[in-house]
Amino acid sequence: MSIAARRAEALGARLPPLLVAAERVAATVAQGVHGRRRVGQGDSFWQFRPFLPGDATNRIDWRQSARSDRAFVRETEWEAAQTVALWRDGGETMRWKKAGPVEKADRAELLLLALAALLLRGGERVRLIGAEGRPVSGLDRLADLLGRLPEGNGVPPEAPLPRHAQAVLIGDFLTPLDIIQAAIGRMAAIPVRGHLLQVLDPAEALLPYEGRVRFEGMRREAGTLISRVEGVRAEYAVRLAAQQDGLLAICRAAGWGFSMHRTDHSAEAALLGLYTALAPQLGRK
Amino acid sequence: MIFASPWVLFALAALPVLWWLLRVTPPSPRIERFPAIRLLHGLIAQAETPARTPWWLLLLRCVAAGLVIIGLARPVIDAGGSVPGAGALLLVVDDGWAAARDWGRRMVAGGAVLDRAERAGRLVVLLSTAPSEGGVAPRASAALPVADARPLLDALRPKPWAVDRVAAMAAAAQSGAGGVVAISDGVTQGEGWARYAETLAGLGPVEELRGDDVPARLLLPPRPEADRLIVRLLQTPQPLDGEAAVRAVSADGRTLARLVLPVPAGASAAEGAMTLPPELRNRLARLVLDGPPTAGGVVLLDERWRRRPVGLLAGDATTAATPLTGQLFYLRRALEPFTELREGDLAALLAREISVMVLADRPVPEGPERDMLAAWVDKGGLLIRFAGPLTAEHPDTLVPVKVLEGDRQLGGTMSWSKPAGLAAFTAGSPFQGLAVPEEVRITRQVLAAPGRHLTDATWARLEDGTPLVTQAPRGAGRVVLFHVTANADWSDLPLSGLFVDLLRRLVDLANGVSGAEEGGVERLAPVETLDGFGVPGAPGAAAVAMTAKDLALASASPRTPPGIYGPETSRRVLNLANRMDPPEVAPAIPGATQAPVGGIPPERALAPWLLAVALALLACDLLISLRLRGLLRVALLALAVLPAPGFAQTPQLASEDNPARATRLAYMTTGNGAVDDILRAGLVGLSDYVNRRTAAALAEPAAVVPGVDDLSVYPMIYWVVMPDSDSLPGEAVTALNQYMANGGILLIDTRNGGSGEGFAAGAETALERAARGLAVPVLAELTQAHVLARSFYLLNEFPGRFAGDQVWVQRDQDRSNDSVSPVIIGGHDWASAWAVDAQGRNPYATIPGGARQRVLAYRFGVNLVMYALTGNYKGDQVHIPALLERLGQ
Repeated sequence: MSIAARRAEALGARLPPLLVAAERVAATVAQGVHGRRRVGQGDSFWQFRPFLPGDATNRIDWRQSARSDRAFVRETEWEAAQTVALWRDGGETMRWKKAGPVEKADRAELLLLALAALLLRGGERVRLIGAEGRPVSGLDRLADLLGRLPEGNGVPPEAPLPRHAQAVLIGDFLTPLDIIQAAIGRMAAIPVRGHLLQVLDPAEALLPYEGRVRFEGMRREAGTLISRVEGVRAEYAVRLAAQQDGLLAICRAAGWGFSMHRTDHSAEAALLGLYTALAPQLGRK
Repeated sequence: MIFASPWVLFALAALPVLWWLLRVTPPSPRIERFPAIRLLHGLIAQAETPARTPWWLLLLRCVAAGLVIIGLARPVIDAGGSVPGAGALLLVVDDGWAAARDWGRRMVAGGAVLDRAERAGRLVVLLSTAPSEGGVAPRASAALPVADARPLLDALRPKPWAVDRVAAMAAAAQSGAGGVVAISDGVTQGEGWARYAETLAGLGPVEELRGDDVPARLLLPPRPEADRLIVRLLQTPQPLDGEAAVRAVSADGRTLARLVLPVPAGASAAEGAMTLPPELRNRLARLVLDGPPTAGGVVLLDERWRRRPVGLLAGDATTAATPLTGQLFYLRRALEPFTELREGDLAALLAREISVMVLADRPVPEGPERDMLAAWVDKGGLLIRFAGPLTAEHPDTLVPVKVLEGDRQLGGTMSWSKPAGLAAFTAGSPFQGLAVPEEVRITRQVLAAPGRHLTDATWARLEDGTPLVTQAPRGAGRVVLFHVTANADWSDLPLSGLFVDLLRRLVDLANGVSGAEEGGVERLAPVETLDGFGVPGAPGAAAVAMTAKDLALASASPRTPPGIYGPETSRRVLNLANRMDPPEVAPAIPGATQAPVGGIPPERALAPWLLAVALALLACDLLISLRLRGLLRVALLALAVLPAPGFAQTPQLASEDNPARATRLAYMTTGNGAVDDILRAGLVGLSDYVNRRTAAALAEPAAVVPGVDDLSVYPMIYWVVMPDSDSLPGEAVTALNQYMANGGILLIDTRNGGSGEGFAAGAETALERAARGLAVPVLAELTQAHVLARSFYLLNEFPGRFAGDQVWVQRDQDRSNDSVSPVIIGGHDWASAWAVDAQGRNPYATIPGGARQRVLAYRFGVNLVMYALTGNYKGDQVHIPALLERLGQ
């Protein structure tokens, strides 16, 4: 098991298994712990019913049948699992740290894996947006896939997602709002609901530079020379707040949740936030 | 402190301007990478004043600039005063033997004088007062600029002879100089100083630099005495008591003894006795004065000092050397360890210098021989005679005491008396102190006639008082007589250790052979001469060969430098002190200002130091600036990385893309992008297939260029030969040949085989052209029986995109490479069959077609990989039928 996966498990071990609030699970037939109160595929007992012609004989529950003259068939409850699609921004801007203890990407991966560990313990199906293939059921495999995920350009790539799945997107979301809006809107149209977590370095949140500084972008943007950074700090804060307000508005419009996290804050707090956002009893009805 | 270029200091006025300029120029910005830069675009700083360079950095830069300016003004500290007189300056440097004692100080002082003359703009006439090595008398140089005079001064070395004041005086008089600085050795020998001083004083103001605090010392040749050397020393008087240490040095440079001579205040000579055991004395090669090395402090010694040659002469020459019975046998054995022995007839022995003569039973009848011998003894020779039958019959007169004719026998068959022992040695005998062994018995001896002086003349006697060894001085020498034979016929004495001790003490009594000179006529060439510091070296150009007689009369000069002359067998030395006038302190030059030679500290230029400090400050400034801009780490990293390519011959691979860390297939780039893409896709597809189906784990395939990349890490290289392929460059051919020789597999694909005929027309000719130089072995068709057909799947055919053509492999088994064929040649275009695009589809249709052909192509690929990875591991499968058959029997 990779170190990242171990750390994520340790982080998630303090929370109970996460059952995602599943509003409509009819679409998926995969087994999970969301009981459908109907007969179907599943592990838990639902009812005995008399054997009918046409039933396969190997379905007869002989222990029950021996108690009476009739043969009975054991039926189980139809259980279905919710699919949660996860994504984190692995781009150049995330591989950066200034004032925080770790790079933003490291924190994002940790949160993603911890969340996945909780989900997997809850029996949910987890997949990565952008990764090939089917949902995974093991944290190791997930960590492996995560390492191979393409870097991306700040927003999740277009990927086929099951309807009524849940999505959790982790990144810094500093790209222009219209791009983010397009991506969220695309996913909301599937429909997919979800949550958006913005991870920022303290330096991005506070702009703690002083004096004459030439800033250079990390995605081949043009640089900018600021003669006194102290002088623009307030205005920067306004712009950052505007970006975050915009993100909140986009999420609200799509029915998504939005939260923020700084790498100098504890990962547990962010994980708890995600947990509450996804858990049925504490989240939206 | 003065400035050599003071006008440069005006630039200091520009410093405030520099300060202002530095202050208004904003510092270079720090460079920061920032993810949220989009939010920063277009932001204008609210504050009006831009960031300023910190004041301390400004100060640092201004100080550095100021240091540069001051440094360029060339400040000089300890600059001496002016130079005397006007016009050309005459610099007189004494470079005789007496100047070597503090030559370094003199050169520094001379350099300082030149510095002063240079600043004063004076021309310099350089005059060294000793004759040069070439024998040229002292001559003044022309009036030279200081820059030209400096090399001349630096080239001066002290000479191992005295200065020539008379010639120097003449040269100085003609120099036409208007001022004199004399770096004087303060020694005068013989006449000439007074007139020389007057001449110098007549030229103009004189400044005289002297180094009288170090005495000029001259070691004289030692005077040999019987058992010691008297070491003599002359020096210029000193105001304080002092001492001089003389070391006795052997030829191989080891110190044998050290003698400290106290030199009282005001004394000009010292003397002391150096006692050396004879063995050490024979190894003595030179005496060296401790202290600064000078030619005056070295005295070379030749055999005249070292040795006391002993001549042996027997009465009966024919039996003299017979072992155990011969007259000379025991003498030789006793004397050889510590003396130089010579034998021959009397005339030949006396012709050379000799200090001891031993005559064993050799009568010396009246005649020329006796006269010669007597004359030699009179001059200081030591004659030791042994009695015997011959001398007993014919007594002669060259004996210390009168000897009775005939001999006396003690003991024997016809006698009552017993052989007599020795009595203890009495005081006054040189043998006193030697233990008398009990076992020595004297059976026969000659008897001395009784006389008045017999007791005084006796050095050893028998128990009954009969003299055994008698002696008498004669002239400057001495005659000693043993009253027994030198062999064991008459006594046990030669058999005892006492015999050796007796002879040694006697030889120690002898004079060295220093006084008299050989009158040889052959000319002795200089072999090794001393330089001014007393260091031996090759003789100078002017040194001439001369006879020993002339050498004894010569004094040190360019023609006769002190040193060693003559061949090995007859070495002669000429010492500096030979026939030299004793050195005396020279009086001061009249009217001259006096200064000690070491008293003036040399002037020192500050400019290099100031510039160095300025550079250091600027370097600090660079580091600080980099740090302020956040680039220090980058710069240090670059600094650390920069020299790396110089050390590493092969480029160092980063660990993650090091091809050796994973097994991967490789293809040779063709230069055609489309074909390279197919190759890459094909090998990716094959690698995936192999990873899925087998235990092999292949990583991403690699593109290689033979001769550039290291091929040794790839198990197999896919090479597509296209119709327009050129022949491979030489280094590529070498690399591929080496790759194949070391077990690599080269898969060559012409992409035109079987059903694909015509797809790449001309590829065969291209193959011939391209593979020229490759070590392709003899080939055979790939059949079902080959390991390649069984290494994973059992295959009957080997299709790729095309099918139906032959595939060629090495015909012969080459055990050295596990029987693996180094080259596989075909035309089935396997890469296209294996190729997989991004969607996981196979973009190239197989011809003639069918899923089966694709599967077989993959299977052939798997077999290829297995063959490359495991060699003939599956080779035994080929023989299974034969094995089963054998088992069945």
